[in-house]
Amino acid sequence: MNEAMNNTIYSAGSLPIVLVGFAIIISGFLIWWRQDVSFEGHYEPKSAGVPFKNIDIRKVGIWVFLMSEMMVFSSLFSTYIRYRLGTESCQAILDNHSTFSNGVPFTPGDACWIPASYFIAGSHSESWTLSLGGFGLPDTLVPGAINTFALIISSFTVVMALQTAKREDLDADERSRKVRNYLAATLCLATLFLMLKMIEWFIGFNVGPFHAPSLMEDGYTIHNTAYPFAGSGHGEEHLTANLRLSASTFYVATGTHGAHVFGGIIGLSYMTFKAHRGGYSPSNAVSIEYFGLYWHFVDLVWVLVFPAFYLY
Amino acid sequence: MQVNKKFIAIFSIVMVAMLLAPSLQAKQTGISNVESGCTCHSGSPSSDVSPFMTLANGSALPDTYNAGETYSLLVGFTGGPADTEVVDRLNTGGFNLVAAKGTFASTDDSTQLMAGQLTHSESGNDQTSWAVDWTSPASGTSSFTLTVNSVNGDEQPSDADHWAQSTFTMSSMGGVAEPLEDADGLTVLFSAIILVMMLLFVAVVYIFYRMNPDGFSWAAFAPWIADWLTSTDHKKIGTLYFVAGLFYFVVGGVLALLMRTQLAIPGNDFLTKDEYNQFFTLHGTIMIFLAAMPMINGFANWIVPLQIGAKDLAFPRINAMAFWLNPVASVLIMSGIFSSNAADVGWTGYQPITSWVGTHPGATFWIAGQIMLVASSTLAGINFITTIASMRAPGMGWMQMPLFTWSILVSIMCLFISIPAFGIGLIEAFLDRTVATAFFNVSAGGDPVLWSHLFWYFGHPEVYVVILPAFGIVSEVLATSARRAIFGYRSMVYALAGIGFVSFIVYGHHMLTSGMSPALRFVMMVTTMAVAVPTGIKIFNWLKTMHGGSLVYRTHTLWALGFLVTFTLGGISGMFFPAISMNTHLHETYFVVAHFHYVLVGGVVFGLFAAIYYWYPKMTGRMLDERLGVIHFLIAFISYNGIFWPMHKLGLWGMTRRHHTYFLQANEYSDVIGTLPPEAAGWNMFITINAFIFGLSSVLMIINMIVSLIKGQKAPADPWGGWSFEWLTTSPPPTPSFDELPTLIDVNVHEEKEPNWLMRMMVPDDQEEVSN
Repeated sequence: MNEAMNNTIYSAGSLPIVLVGFAIIISGFLIWWRQDVSFEGHYEPKSAGVPFKNIDIRKVGIWVFLMSEMMVFSSLFSTYIRYRLGTESCQAILDNHSTFSNGVPFTPGDACWIPASYFIAGSHSESWTLSLGGFGLPDTLVPGAINTFALIISSFTVVMALQTAKREDLDADERSRKVRNYLAATLCLATLFLMLKMIEWFIGFNVGPFHAPSLMEDGYTIHNTAYPFAGSGHGEEHLTANLRLSASTFYVATGTHGAHVFGGIIGLSYMTFKAHRGGYSPSNAVSIEYFGLYWHFVDLVWVLVFPAFYLY
Repeated sequence: MQVNKKFIAIFSIVMVAMLLAPSLQAKQTGISNVESGCTCHSGSPSSDVSPFMTLANGSALPDTYNAGETYSLLVGFTGGPADTEVVDRLNTGGFNLVAAKGTFASTDDSTQLMAGQLTHSESGNDQTSWAVDWTSPASGTSSFTLTVNSVNGDEQPSDADHWAQSTFTMSSMGGVAEPLEDADGLTVLFSAIILVMMLLFVAVVYIFYRMNPDGFSWAAFAPWIADWLTSTDHKKIGTLYFVAGLFYFVVGGVLALLMRTQLAIPGNDFLTKDEYNQFFTLHGTIMIFLAAMPMINGFANWIVPLQIGAKDLAFPRINAMAFWLNPVASVLIMSGIFSSNAADVGWTGYQPITSWVGTHPGATFWIAGQIMLVASSTLAGINFITTIASMRAPGMGWMQMPLFTWSILVSIMCLFISIPAFGIGLIEAFLDRTVATAFFNVSAGGDPVLWSHLFWYFGHPEVYVVILPAFGIVSEVLATSARRAIFGYRSMVYALAGIGFVSFIVYGHHMLTSGMSPALRFVMMVTTMAVAVPTGIKIFNWLKTMHGGSLVYRTHTLWALGFLVTFTLGGISGMFFPAISMNTHLHETYFVVAHFHYVLVGGVVFGLFAAIYYWYPKMTGRMLDERLGVIHFLIAFISYNGIFWPMHKLGLWGMTRRHHTYFLQANEYSDVIGTLPPEAAGWNMFITINAFIFGLSSVLMIINMIVSLIKGQKAPADPWGGWSFEWLTTSPPPTPSFDELPTLIDVNVHEEKEPNWLMRMMVPDDQEEVSN
């Protein structure tokens, strides 16, 4: 039974039905946006009564939505904490002469935990002291670090877009141009984030002194049941570890964050288009603020995901 | 015309989706790929190759078989390049054999089984005939499809190789005449869907016709139906929610009756094990997610904006989207039932069975449908929380909100905060099934109990999500019927909020036998017992409301009184479970079934029935027939207790839930584990009879609703003497729901401005029989 469970991959569907689904979603978006593109902010309903008096109702809605998003990532972190703390680390087992802490000997194919940071920090295969001229910074952390700054800067540019859109002293053309540029910068940074993520997962990074194989090449995949883990400083000794659990946790948690970035990219594409057409004025600039709230949240989640999955 | 074009576009997209849908691989073999098994060399079949299939001794294949017997067969071919070109008899050919019925066994290393089909193995490549074993089925005609490759020995699949295909058949010996081919599950499913769509279309046209029989025209029909499909009005969406919920209430009820038929006598074989597993899974899922929650959402959509004096919900389009996710999700959840491949994992979807390969493929679709429902609930949650927090009428503070609105707010908060955990658990399970991640895979170190935590962190608040609105309904109904304000309004609000808060820290009592740490179990025991405190406050407040008031016995009052009795009984049986030792004994028995049906049927469904009789005049502008309503209540209340009260006893005897049958002890001294005392058979039959009576009594209510809609008495704006805002507008209300937003002012101020306003709450005796 276990064997069957390991090897089964269900076919979830086929291409035509997926395409039909995409067509329906895209047409829904287009209809929604066509109605929104002319929105001038002439009717922005305000909240009445305690505690949100005179706050835009749409803003209250966004905050409520973020409450749900917080629970989404809390659940993913619960999964992560449960498995991180409940699964013994491969390094500890190796140090303990291939024995679990309860005395059971490790047999090849048993599950143990290798954190993603082990592969990302590069200490497993490359001599990481060589990178950065011997400063000892782990090499593949570079795309992750760029990503972190990209997201933080994109949070800043979206705020600048909002501030510019609210400025009454600029004439309409100049304001639209600036708002568009700020939004386009945000869009580029978000795309850069996802691109580096794909490089990190599938392609591998090889620029100047910073080079490291992708996680796929490392064998950090959800199907790998026989990873030869050699740890640090043990020469010939190694464990044949089952990596499926730690890889599943890593890919799904960071993948969910990536999906949120992707959702932001779809929204940003439309907003850049609307700004290009001169759609934002001080009267409806709050729309950018609503998106900004979501975007700050995505940024904030990355600030938690990054240390949990990339550093620790 | 614009509307028509859009309608046609949407309709054609749906049609294309349905045409393409069969390519979904709902069956393990794959619908578009049923008999392909062979990788045939070269393009079209060749006539010089002739496949044969005989008995092992060389005699011809008989026309009939004996049921359950194993036949040794010889399959192979003559002719083609294998005969003419291959000298050393190496790499001569291959075959693939598919049987419509029966099972194959591989007898030697020249053949191998792949997904139930038999094919040659690497070492069988050098032969032109192979020996196989086939065990015949119990009945029916089995057709064999034999595909053979005659190979020229160059080890390259090319046009120089030839292939051919033949069909052989064997029928069962005598017995019942069988159809030549069994119905294909998906064909049945799509036929059923098309049939239901046609019936639905006829019903919708009939409703349109009844609204204005004289002015009927097809030109007016298209805009009317497009308005319903695209409406963002909270009242129309509320009606859609309600009708969808009622429909699935019937579907879930029929599933329950089928299960009760199976359980009526011991050792029954009306349903197979497999069918029973699917039926109780779908019964639970449908009743909670597709019946109770949509019906509650229907009332919330209708009543909450009216009660707080808002013209509509905060985000009408998101509201429409939240509803329209529901029908799609329900199709996904139900998919597979007609091809007997629906989810068979229980409504809890416990791991690791949900991620196990042996679970029906329908479980994947079931998970997908639930994920859509999570999205729908999240959207609805955003909408209701925002609406209630920011769109109350002037003068309506938090402590002036009607209790129904309070109950919806608390229940939606519970749902909103807990359901993302369920969603993430479902996504993890979905990925486990589709791309083989290892979240709940024990051999890879996964922990099935993690699923239980994620599920019950949502699952326990979920049962309060469905019961709290019933509390709100009963508060409204009892206060109006007792012709006074509710007793202890503030304590009612705090009790609601208290139940909402406690619901998050008690969920472990569902998992006391799952191997949680003893310390955690003890905590869960104490917190669970604490639930009784706020609930008790509510019960006593309701009693005190009636005690201080002057009760009018309408149908909705009767349902509310019935709710008080049954819910209290269900609450008392609920107090058995937090005690860990008691829980260990009663876990997964019919005592549990009795308990949660007492609170879910006796609580939620009775509350919803009360709401139907209470708000129907407001929604449709027509009064329901009181006499039919009272008959419905009496029959349903008695038969309901007849169904679920004996289950307590059965549970204590050790009858386990989720088992498709049970067996009796031979006499009172035999003590075979798992058997029940002889009198259990009588009680089960009694329960089944009552279940059918209860099911039929609901038909009375539906008949009442339909007949009253057509020729019921016209309803006044405030037929019951209620005093919250919804009774201020006309019945049915206009769109937007208030021509002018109302203002809430103090009762005494109101009485000064409009003398005798308070008297509206006191319906004079001569006007009491409004409906007759």
